[in-house]
Amino acid sequence: MALEDRNRVVILEDRVENVSGAEFPMSFSDQGIPFTLKGFKESFDIKIIRLTPTDIEFDLIGVDASIANALRRILIAEIPTMAIEKVYMINNTGIIQDEVLAHRLGLIPIKANPDEFLWKRADEQPTDQNTIVFKLEVACSHNRDATPGEADPKMKYINSAVYSSQLVWDPRGDQEERFAMDPIRPVHEDILITKLRPGHEIICELHCEKGIGKDHAKFSPVATASYRLLPEIQILEDIIGEDAELFRDCFPPGVVDIVEENGVKRAKVVNPRKDTVSREVLRHKQFEGKVRLTRVRDHFIFNVESTGIIAPEKLISQALDVLIEKCDISKTALAQATKGNSEEDEE
Amino acid sequence: MAAMEVTEENTRPNYIALLDTPEEKITILPGASADLTSVTFCIKEEDHTLGNSLRWAIMQNPQVDFCGYSIPHPSEAKTNVRIQTTERTNAVEAMAKGMDDLKVVCLMMKDKLAQRLDEGDFARMN
Amino acid sequence: MSSQAQYGVQKSMTGVKKTGSQMSYLCAACAKPTEIKPKEPIRCHDCGHRILYKKRTPRMVQFEAR
Repeated sequence: MALEDRNRVVILEDRVENVSGAEFPMSFSDQGIPFTLKGFKESFDIKIIRLTPTDIEFDLIGVDASIANALRRILIAEIPTMAIEKVYMINNTGIIQDEVLAHRLGLIPIKANPDEFLWKRADEQPTDQNTIVFKLEVACSHNRDATPGEADPKMKYINSAVYSSQLVWDPRGDQEERFAMDPIRPVHEDILITKLRPGHEIICELHCEKGIGKDHAKFSPVATASYRLLPEIQILEDIIGEDAELFRDCFPPGVVDIVEENGVKRAKVVNPRKDTVSREVLRHKQFEGKVRLTRVRDHFIFNVESTGIIAPEKLISQALDVLIEKCDISKTALAQATKGNSEEDEE
Repeated sequence: MAAMEVTEENTRPNYIALLDTPEEKITILPGASADLTSVTFCIKEEDHTLGNSLRWAIMQNPQVDFCGYSIPHPSEAKTNVRIQTTERTNAVEAMAKGMDDLKVVCLMMKDKLAQRLDEGDFARMN
Repeated sequence: MSSQAQYGVQKSMTGVKKTGSQMSYLCAACAKPTEIKPKEPIRCHDCGHRILYKKRTPRMVQFEAR
C-alpha cells in the first residue's frame, strides 16, 4: 500500500475500506521510524477553526482515534459541573407533579465554577463548600390591572409561567464573597419550568451538588461533542466540460469549483471539508476510475458545544486534564498492585 | 491519611472524585507468566476512555508483542488489559511506560492548544 | 422519601389546619380555603362551587432531581 494511502479510509460505492489503522511498530516492512514522543510532538497539530462563547470547532491532526475518542467521551461524561440534585418540596399545587418538577429543575444548567466546590458523598452533610442552595417561591394570581375579557394568560394572570430566572440563589457561609464577581445563577434566564394558574403555588428549596455526566446527563458540560474525519476528494483524471458541472453538482455547494483554462472547464476541489461524503459522485458511470473518495484517518474535525457553564476552550483543556489525572491515578494504583505482588513472591 | 487527603483535595481542581477511587484499582489476574512478560491487568472503574487510549500508548512500545483490552461485562465497571512483551522488559514496565507516554501525549496536546489559543489565528464570533 | 433537610429548610407556611371537627379545603374554582364541618354540604363558602380539593401534606418532601 502506498505510504500516503496508509492513513486514508477509502470510501467505495458499496463499502468502506482500510478502516482501522495499523500505525504500530513493525506493521509495515518499510516502516522507518517507530513511535517516539518527540516524533509525535512534531507531527501532531491542533488547529482552531472557530470559537464563540459557547462553541468551538477545531482540528486534531496526527493522533490515533483512541485519543480523539477518549477526548470526546471525557467531554460528554467525565468533566464535573454543578447541577440541582435535591429538591425539598414544601408546597406544589401546580399541575406538574413533584417528581416531574424535580426532574425538570435538575436539568437546568447552573452557572457556577465547579472547581470552587468539593465533591459531596451521599453520607456527607451539605456545607458551603459542596452545596449551592436555590429557592423557588412562586404563586400565581389574577392580574387586577388586566383589561376585562383579556385572553392572553400572560396578561390575565401574574406568574402564569415560571422561568429559570425566578430561581433565587441563597448564598451560604462565605459564598456571597467568594462569588461576588460572578454570582451563581442559571445559565439561561428563559427556561420555562412550569405553568401556573391562579391559586397554584410552588415553594421549594433546591440543592446543587458536583457530579459528572456518567452519573446523570444533567451534569454533562456539553450539549454536543463530536468528531468526524476530514473528507478528501482525489481527482485521478481531469474532469472537463459538461462533466465538470455534473461533478460539481454531486457535492454540497462550495466543495468543487470549476476553473476555465484556455476555454476548457475543469473541475477542481476547493473545500473538501464541506463535503458530506454522500457518495453521489460514485453513482455516475462517467466518473468511474476518475475520482476516489477518502477520509484522512488521523485528521479529526471536532465540534463541541458547551452548555454555557464552562467556556468551550477550557472544556478541551479540562478534558485533557482528566485524562492526565486518570494516568496518574492508574500509575499509583499500578505501583501498589505490583508492590503487593513482589511481596508475595518473596514469601 | 485523612490529613493528607484534605490538603490535596483543597489544592487540586479535583476533576475526579478521588474519594470514590476503589482500594484495589489495579489487580493482576491469575495466569500471569512467572517472568511477568505476559500479564492481564484488571483496572476497576475505567472504561474505553482509558482502556483504548492506554492500549494505543502501550502498542507504540517496540518491546510489546501484543496489547489488547476488553470490558468483560458491560454492567461491571472493569477493564482488562492484556500485555505480552519480549524478554527484554516485562508487562508491568510496559504498562507503566504506556501510562507515562499517554500522560506526556496529553500534556503536549494541552500545550499545543494553549499555544494555538494564544496565537488567536481563528474566527472569533459572538 | 421524606426526611428532614439539615440545611435549614424553612417550615411549611400552608397546609392542613384542623380546628376541632372542621376541615379546611381549597376551592377548585376560586382557590380560597373553605372550612367544612361534618355533614355540611360540600360547597365553597365564597363562590358556591361544589368541587373542593384536599390540602397538601404540611410536611416537606424530598426528591432527587433525576
